[in-house]
Amino acid sequence: MPRAIWSGSISFGLVNIPVKLYSAVRDREVHFHMLHEEDGQRVKQQLVCPAEDKVVSRSDVVKGYEVSADQYVVVTDDELEALEPKATRMIEMLDFVKISEIDPVFFQHPYYLVPDEQSGKAYGLLLTAMRDSERIGVGKLVMRGKEYLVAIRPYDTMIVLETMHFAEEVVSASDIEEMPEQPEATERELKLAGQIIDALADSFDPARYHDDYRDAVRALIDSKVEGREYVMPPPVEEEGKVIDLMAALEKSLARAREQKGGASRPAKKEKAS
Amino acid sequence: MAKTVTASVGGHHVELSNLDKVLWPETGFTKAQMIDYYTRVAPAMLPHLKRRPLTLKRYPDGVEADYFYEKECPAYHPEWVQTATMPSRNVRQKVNFCVVDGVATLVWLANLATIEFHTLLSLGTDFDRPMFVAFDLDPGEPADVLDAAWAAERLRDTLADAGLESFAKVSGSKGVHVYVPLNTATTFDETKAFAKATAQQLESHYPGRIVSNMRKDLRGGKIFVDWSQNDPHKTTVCAYSLRAKARPTVSAPVEWEELAAARKRRQPGDLVFEAWEVLQRVEDKGDIFAPVLKLKQRLPK
Repeated sequence: MPRAIWSGSISFGLVNIPVKLYSAVRDREVHFHMLHEEDGQRVKQQLVCPAEDKVVSRSDVVKGYEVSADQYVVVTDDELEALEPKATRMIEMLDFVKISEIDPVFFQHPYYLVPDEQSGKAYGLLLTAMRDSERIGVGKLVMRGKEYLVAIRPYDTMIVLETMHFAEEVVSASDIEEMPEQPEATERELKLAGQIIDALADSFDPARYHDDYRDAVRALIDSKVEGREYVMPPPVEEEGKVIDLMAALEKSLARAREQKGGASRPAKKEKAS
Repeated sequence: MAKTVTASVGGHHVELSNLDKVLWPETGFTKAQMIDYYTRVAPAMLPHLKRRPLTLKRYPDGVEADYFYEKECPAYHPEWVQTATMPSRNVRQKVNFCVVDGVATLVWLANLATIEFHTLLSLGTDFDRPMFVAFDLDPGEPADVLDAAWAAERLRDTLADAGLESFAKVSGSKGVHVYVPLNTATTFDETKAFAKATAQQLESHYPGRIVSNMRKDLRGGKIFVDWSQNDPHKTTVCAYSLRAKARPTVSAPVEWEELAAARKRRQPGDLVFEAWEVLQRVEDKGDIFAPVLKLKQRLPK
């Protein structure tokens, strides 16, 4: 069961709905640790001051903002804390807008909003009202000492909260200098491109797409856990153990035959579909 | 027995693991039996794999569990395994396909629980040139393989009218695949346009039974003639490849007379072949799909 990462309430108009926030996506990356190749020990990270070539403890480190090359102003944690937005525990809805007005480029991370036990009705009301009006809420939320722009929208039977990028964070297309000219296509080219799109037209089925690289990494790890080392060439001293393929298969084939009482060759299948 | 054993096959050493693992729970067909099948069918199958970039469909825990497609040849492949790199303007999209050039690679891939072998329509030497036109005839419920066979025969006749000889194989499930060998200079633009026009022509002749649009909701009871596989990035299941179905069935080449006979007998089972039957067929008939690799034909202008 995923853990709630924030709790507070949605405030819109006169209604307050107590909610908890759960991440709607989970990290499925394969994570590696760094080991010392010689003895397999996990290595530690240390902060080192190059001037004295000395290990520096974390409590002796301050934050510096680089003003120009090698010129820093020091900012203390207290100073930053004083600036932190007040943890209001409130998602304040500022506007309700058409979802088509928000380009997906603004969305950052989805979370599920789950109401507490008594607030099912108000939660359902907000969900239905957004669905009926085809509008979604835009508001602000303070979490982990940071202010977030958020959108809340209906998804299935739940309200999803999307953290969003602020406008100044989004790179505009004109900022990308390498963007080449786009000479206009001929009608024939457009028609062909349209045909290709038509040919591949389908409805979106997310289950069809997989992270092939991650699957391959997992398969690699599984094969190593099972003791198969494909990376290594077969060691020379194993030469004597190499057997003919048929000899290698024979025992296993015999076992399979026993198990199925010769059923690997059925008399004749009736109907296959 | 030990979990892994090193076998000598085709002049190379191949590590075999978990040979007793049941990949088809319904029939108890094991990995050893699959490797045995691929080894025995190799003389017929290898010519269809040679030089052809391959996508692996792997089922580490058998046909009823999760599977994954692998385009990129696993990085840990033995050095004697051939690969072909598909050029791409984007370096990160470059794909290194495995290419099966001999029985050792076939066995190595089968040991990785590759049940299905899907190949590009081009060769690793020229990714822009399809060697054949492929049609995938897929019956929508309640139509079955016999209906697909009927449509395949109509397709064969339409192709014959255009002066082209074609060859059929069953999908190993409910479909029928029809290949038109070219083996001459052509492009995917040409083959795809030709395949689409042919599919549409069939649809216009038999609107109640054949559909050329891939929308699933149009398919009910009809045969979908999929022409879209004639694409540089798409793969079709290789002749003699096993299929990850309930039983260890094979995408087996068939003679046109067999399709007609099965329809006459109304026996869909006549068009479903399991591994052992395919070995028997290859022994009796040889590789009836060999012309697909040799026959030179040109698309009509």
